[in-house]
Amino acid sequence: MFFLFSKSKLGDKPDYTLLTIILLLLLIGIIMVLSSSYVWAEYKYNDKLYFLKRQLLFAGAGIAAMFTTMNIPYGTWRKYAKGILFACFCLLLLVLIPGVGMTRGGAQSWIGVGAFSIQPSEFMKLGLIIYLALFLDHNQKYITSFKQGFFPSLLLVFTAFGLIMLQPDLGTGVVLVLTCMIMIFVSGARLSHFFGLAILGLAGFAFLILSAPYRISRITAFLNPWEDPLGDGFQIIQSLYAIGPGGLMGMGLGESLQKYFYLPEPQTDFIFAILGEELGFIGGTFVIGLFAFMFWRGIRIALEAADQYGRLLALGIVSMLAIQVMINISVVIGLIPVTGITLPFLSYGGSSLTLTLCSVGILLNISKSSHL
Amino acid sequence: MKRVSTVTVRKRLVTVFLIGILFFGIIDFRLGYVQFVIGDKLMGLADESWSRDILFEPERGLILDVNGEVLAENVTAPSVVVVPRQIKNPQETAEKLAAILHISVEKAYKQITKSAMSSQIRPEGIKISEEQEKAIRTLDMEGVYLAKDSKRHYPFGDDLAHVLGFTGIDNQGLMGLELYHDEKLSGEKGSLSFYSDAKGGKLKQLADVYKAPEDGLDLKTTIDSRVQTIIERELDLAVAKYNPDGALAIAVNPKNGSVLGMAARPAFHPEKYQEVDADIYNRNLPIWSTYEPGSTFKIITLAAALEEGVVDLQKDHYHDSGSIKVGGAKLRCWKSGGHGHQSYLEVVENSCNPGFVNLGQKLGKERLFSYIRDFGFGTKTGIDLQGEGNGILFKPENVGPVELATTAFGQGVSVTPIQQVMAVSAAVNGGYLYEPFVAKEWIDPQTNSTVKEHQPVLKERIISDATSKEVRNALESVVAKGTGRPAYVDGYRVGGKTGTAQKVGPDGKYMSNNHIVSFIGFAPADDPEIVVYVAVDNPKGTVQFGGVVTAPIVGTIIGDSLNALGVKRRKDGLEKEYKWPEQPKVEVPSLVGLKKKEIVEFQTNLAIETSGKGDYIIDQSPKPGVKVEQGSKIRIYLSNKK
Repeated sequence: MFFLFSKSKLGDKPDYTLLTIILLLLLIGIIMVLSSSYVWAEYKYNDKLYFLKRQLLFAGAGIAAMFTTMNIPYGTWRKYAKGILFACFCLLLLVLIPGVGMTRGGAQSWIGVGAFSIQPSEFMKLGLIIYLALFLDHNQKYITSFKQGFFPSLLLVFTAFGLIMLQPDLGTGVVLVLTCMIMIFVSGARLSHFFGLAILGLAGFAFLILSAPYRISRITAFLNPWEDPLGDGFQIIQSLYAIGPGGLMGMGLGESLQKYFYLPEPQTDFIFAILGEELGFIGGTFVIGLFAFMFWRGIRIALEAADQYGRLLALGIVSMLAIQVMINISVVIGLIPVTGITLPFLSYGGSSLTLTLCSVGILLNISKSSHL
Repeated sequence: MKRVSTVTVRKRLVTVFLIGILFFGIIDFRLGYVQFVIGDKLMGLADESWSRDILFEPERGLILDVNGEVLAENVTAPSVVVVPRQIKNPQETAEKLAAILHISVEKAYKQITKSAMSSQIRPEGIKISEEQEKAIRTLDMEGVYLAKDSKRHYPFGDDLAHVLGFTGIDNQGLMGLELYHDEKLSGEKGSLSFYSDAKGGKLKQLADVYKAPEDGLDLKTTIDSRVQTIIERELDLAVAKYNPDGALAIAVNPKNGSVLGMAARPAFHPEKYQEVDADIYNRNLPIWSTYEPGSTFKIITLAAALEEGVVDLQKDHYHDSGSIKVGGAKLRCWKSGGHGHQSYLEVVENSCNPGFVNLGQKLGKERLFSYIRDFGFGTKTGIDLQGEGNGILFKPENVGPVELATTAFGQGVSVTPIQQVMAVSAAVNGGYLYEPFVAKEWIDPQTNSTVKEHQPVLKERIISDATSKEVRNALESVVAKGTGRPAYVDGYRVGGKTGTAQKVGPDGKYMSNNHIVSFIGFAPADDPEIVVYVAVDNPKGTVQFGGVVTAPIVGTIIGDSLNALGVKRRKDGLEKEYKWPEQPKVEVPSLVGLKKKEIVEFQTNLAIETSGKGDYIIDQSPKPGVKVEQGSKIRIYLSNKK
């Protein structure tokens, strides 16, 4: 355990600005979890603070984990990258075995017992970023080659994506693919390769939709949610009913009406809707601004990273977080179909919150040894 | 193999950053769009979803006749409401309900197991009968309730059905006055609104809003239920006697266009409208049907000719040879051999077709058609009832000599009964064309004060008083001396005109032995108080002439109605001219005070019956002066004392 106390060689100060932003988001999240969940909590568990207590627990564990990873030199991840990836693949396969994997919300994506359950796909996101950064760093001179650079990395990404889609968990799958694409793009792959991939992607997208009809109904619901207000359009409509009345200033903290059983489980995927309802455009813009700020600090860390591995690892982590934020808020405000992705740092989310904070810790560690 | 430079990597990192910031911008922009641009709309929709309304039904307005007699009212009839969560044994409850409401067990089961707070069984469980109510109360099933509700009741049954119309299961107007004036009759629903959570619980932090229901206004119509009852009775008699395909009658007050009565056969009961064919209740024949009017239309030609001064009824003469040649076609008079030499008054009395062709020719196409349009033909009268017809006129450019000739005696035009009634009203009331109407006053049910009163609408002045008077006299003489004699009512100076309209069959040709026979009459001729039109479609077992079938019906309706309305009998009218086999009525002589044997001196063609014994006549029935048919019985009461 000696490495917990060791210091990195190049400078030793993490990006405190980024750390502050993350802690601020976490605080806003805890307040919003309380505000949006107490009605449900009292109804379901007869305890208004049920979700708050758990969120505090997970946030505490997450912060501890973050400070731990912040002090693990990121070279360590490079060293164990292959093993980590292998473990993640094993978990992904395990979850598909009937009886081992648990089904929640129509997807078989959980392993474990009760509160101590995890989503292997969440681990896969981080695991793949750790490995892909290694792969791209290692093969950087081949990246412009289709055969030796572009294709092998794609094969890896889409194998993981395919396994996740077997659950199926489209949201996580999309985040994973987009994050890896950004990493491959930045490491220097040819634009013409991406262009060809885009065409393939469109074809694959069409196939996915045709193969599972529930996805097409989600998309049509997004185009006109009022067509089926009690079915597929339900969540979007209820989300818009929260945000719309918020206006500029919002109804005031705690004054949401949509949390009174209208919006299902408002403390998770749709927490931003309640935030928009209670804190208005000002509150919403503030939170979006914080995320944009986080994104800027992350890209800055990548730019100034000490080596190519750190650069790609930082880019992967910050891209993953930003993409999740964009997808989650876009769903809530009716820009894209419902996907089932939580809002990092804000949503009530147990193990995934802890894992997200772990990845921020890695990012902070990279910032320590960067030329900042 | 090209080595990727650090510069490229840095450039691409910045590209990713810029694209990311762009996306954050788009998202924030969309957030603003949702909260500002469509925010108010969403707020409205959300408010609807948050607020729960307990509705309070308003009382539907009554429909009254001109004297305040109730024509349509509300009676309480409960509706079944079930609360699915309270039903412990759905199968058993479903079976019981199904038996009482006469529905399938499956339907009942489906409704009482619905996942809702409460559920209704539509339409069978709405406004149930007294027996059903009693059965449900007796069984006292758990989770099955009776909610207070009311349904429409029409005290006069089938009478006036087409005019009144009827209401649907939610007391909404579906036909007739009920539909035309639905908005005023139905009033405004009241509500108690409160904010609730999605599970139905009340949110205490927001205040309730109560809006009281506003009852519908009572509608006082122009209908006189006494006149209406007479019309219905006469149509029933006509249907029994002639078994026609249809029949209709209209009575209006020519002085303002108010409708006194209106009826059609076949009729229906407004509370059981589902039991008859939709065509029966959809077609209010007096305003819907359009057909060739036949001779009643000659009144229009007559009025136009008199107003234009092209004829003098007394001085000018016409010789009817039985037919007239027009533009190569030979138009026959209804009487074979013709009417011979006649004054134009006799042309009218005899309803002589060639004579009217001649009048039409004297007027010319322009003037005749201009009068027809002025009298309101070819356009809706604007009566406040659903489903009025337009009628069809020849287009001016299509009118040749033959069309002009046939139009003059009522063929080749297609009109509605209400158009004829309003046109004739104008011809006899001094020349004023009114818009017919049924809704007279709107009355506040709480204060009983009139909220709004309909003023008669004068559309146009068509002919002069003098012309109108001449028309009245000519038509009175049609009834006293001509084809309309069966409509004669002693003392009421009835004027009128027969009509026998040919019907066009499916092949586009006139059908034989299938006519619409009609009569339009008015009275009294010196100051008309009522215009009555009756048409019978294809009467069986009779000569299909308007004078035979419909003139007596109109006569009876006019006589009884004017009597009911309290119009005084006249003394200066034209005497009826009798033609074999008709016999004039005789006046009963005064016999009281005479001796029994003196009766011989009064030997008339009356049959005498005696009561009591003695030499002196102390009383008699009928009273002296009453006119009776020849051969009628007169009862005299005898006594020994004078």
